[in-house]
Amino acid sequence: MSGAAISAHGLAAGYTTGRPVLTEVTFTLEAGQAVAVLGPNGGGKTTLFRVLLDEIEPAAGACALGARAAYVPQTERARLDFPLSAFDVALMGAYARTAWWRRVSKGDRAAAHAALERVDLTDRTSERFGALSGGQRQRVLIARALVQDAGVLLLDEPFAGVDATSEARILALLDELRAEGRALAISTHDVEQARRWDHVLCLNGRQVAFGPPGEALTTEVLQETYGAELVVLEGSRRAVAVHHHDHAHHQ
Amino acid sequence: MGWLLDPFAVPFMQRALLAVVLLAVVSGVLGTWVVLRGLAFFTHAVGTATFPGLVMAGPAGVAAPVAALAAGTGFAALTARLAARRGAGGAGADATIGLLLIGALALGAVLASDVFTSGAGVDQLLFGTLVGLRAGDLWLAGGVAIGAVGAGAALGRTWLATGFDPASTHALGVAGAWGDRLLLGLLAVAVVAVLPAVGALLVTTLLAVPAATARLWASSLRSLVCGAVGVALVDGVAGLLVAWYLDLPPGPAIAVVSGGLFGVVALARAVLQRRWRAA
Repeated sequence: MSGAAISAHGLAAGYTTGRPVLTEVTFTLEAGQAVAVLGPNGGGKTTLFRVLLDEIEPAAGACALGARAAYVPQTERARLDFPLSAFDVALMGAYARTAWWRRVSKGDRAAAHAALERVDLTDRTSERFGALSGGQRQRVLIARALVQDAGVLLLDEPFAGVDATSEARILALLDELRAEGRALAISTHDVEQARRWDHVLCLNGRQVAFGPPGEALTTEVLQETYGAELVVLEGSRRAVAVHHHDHAHHQ
Repeated sequence: MGWLLDPFAVPFMQRALLAVVLLAVVSGVLGTWVVLRGLAFFTHAVGTATFPGLVMAGPAGVAAPVAALAAGTGFAALTARLAARRGAGGAGADATIGLLLIGALALGAVLASDVFTSGAGVDQLLFGTLVGLRAGDLWLAGGVAIGAVGAGAALGRTWLATGFDPASTHALGVAGAWGDRLLLGLLAVAVVAVLPAVGALLVTTLLAVPAATARLWASSLRSLVCGAVGVALVDGVAGLLVAWYLDLPPGPAIAVVSGGLFGVVALARAVLQRRWRAA
């Protein structure tokens, strides 16, 4: 398939009634590229992912994907108390292609093993998912996306609750996936880290900016993205945004 | 061994044993999902909601299971709708369920005492009568056992993925909403199947407690399901024997045994964990 991995044009999206949570999103991401999606909580990052995953309809405009998309959630959002091994979780990536009356095929079980090997967790396949570290769980969830055979990965704050060593490991893994021609969209609060990707997309209810980090990440853009409440800590990696309690947009 | 086998020489105890075996399957397969998906309170409430239906069944000339199913599914649909309207996640809105549960119990009590003089004793409707089962009760239990096993095999992956990580269900290509509706509907039917055995107030004795006990040690989904079936069997048979020898109603006897076993297993687990940590 040729063309963009993700393309959005005049995209707007929201929930049931009321005005859209997110408007005016227009950008293109090629295969093998990564985009950091920045914005405050409730700024539309999750909504963008949900509309790209075809979970909600665009309220206006259009978007298209050049390959199958997978969603990689935050590991804390998953039930850590379930009696599931790392392998069981990776195997979920094959559920969509397994008919309800069949068992998961041998080929798919092999694919799950291969994916866990890929994320360097071969020695942890039978460990309980909830007993793994945050970084290991994140890698299991990336393995699940690989089992889905996804060409587009939408990662929801993949470095939240992950220690520095694991973060470096996940970054290296994401670079590999990018080199294979997969497209990545990475929602994050880490402005400094966002600079290492090909593009940044700044959202605050609408698209504030899109482009290579060097051009797009200006102080004006960051202030507009996070509102006037942005506190830039000198020498810190993070732009700390002080939020009002804004829970209208989260489901 | 005579003390173990002798009671089951009596036909009504044989029927009770058969019911225990069939319901243990229902308990293991569906109880697993009740526990994993946090539906114990919902299940208890659906059980309670069948009480006014059961009271009215006789005077209204409706078969008891039909009346119970109507009341139970009506209740399930109502809580799901109210919970959704308040923006809470599905059937999990405890306050809504609690209010409706009390309403159902009160309505049943009023109907039983003032409006109808029900043929069946109220205590039997509330706590079951495992030693007075009829053929129809056994057929229903068998049918629901087969249905539960089939649904568990066909929908287990859907229920697992939806419960594990709801935000990803759509991206994983899993029909989460439909799976959940079927699970809640199946639970309502399972409640009706266990009613004759343990009554409207004790349905979770079979539909939650054995799986909760098995979950204390289960390391995989399969061991959880199989363990829950085993625990339900032990609870049921032990409860029947206790009821036989102490001349107690079997429903409450099974409830006490299963609660006790849960306590013992939980305690043993805590002790073992402490020892492992010390070692």
